[in-house]
Amino acid sequence: MSESEPSGAEGGEGAPGRPRESEPDARFTFANERTFLAWNRTALALIVAGLAIVQLLPPFPGLPWGRHLLAVPLIVFGAVLSIGGFAEWGRNQRALRRGEPLPRSPLPRMLSVAIAAVALLAAVLVLLSEAVE
Amino acid sequence: MTSGGLDDPEDLDPGLARERTELAWFRTAVSFAALGGAMLQTTPVIGGLILGMSALVHLLGRVTRPAGRVAGHERRHALLLISAAVALVAAVALATIFLASDSLFPLRR
Repeated sequence: MSESEPSGAEGGEGAPGRPRESEPDARFTFANERTFLAWNRTALALIVAGLAIVQLLPPFPGLPWGRHLLAVPLIVFGAVLSIGGFAEWGRNQRALRRGEPLPRSPLPRMLSVAIAAVALLAAVLVLLSEAVE
Repeated sequence: MTSGGLDDPEDLDPGLARERTELAWFRTAVSFAALGGAMLQTTPVIGGLILGMSALVHLLGRVTRPAGRVAGHERRHALLLISAAVALVAAVALATIFLASDSLFPLRR
């Protein structure tokens, strides 16, 4: 990254104690933006999944709260993922401007854990509902 | 990585990255439209609002498209708006679940 023409928007050129910043290559900025949009589509997919569980699935026999138990975490995590995606975009963009290594993202791990947890919960609910039935 | 003036060809034309990004905006708008369409069945007003959001997302993707370089702070606002919209949709989805008349935990009787 060249340091010849720092950006004025989020500047910092010459400010004491602040690293120099410059406009990154447009391709990297575009890639960062696409990643942000992909996280938001994932968030929307989680929200849709939560809604579909409540509105389309029949209730678990003997466990009337089962659908809500699955849907609410999915929808809440969708919101978290969207906000987290924005924070991630900001961190990546700052690192690009400063020419620093990109920070590690916690979002993929969080998503994996959340999906695994919901899948496990779904399996438990299915087994419990069969046992109750 | 390059920067600086517009004399660098990569700054003037970042290749297919711009096109891929426009397609990503379009896919995001389609995702909003799909969710809005699905919600039209149960909650028509909210479904219509989310469908309107999809148009907004599509417009944001076009309006904030840089002519030659990326204006960071302008895109930041556009992306913040997208995140806020998704968070709002999540809140609406939760409200839809709990406000439904046949809900197990209805907030409204």
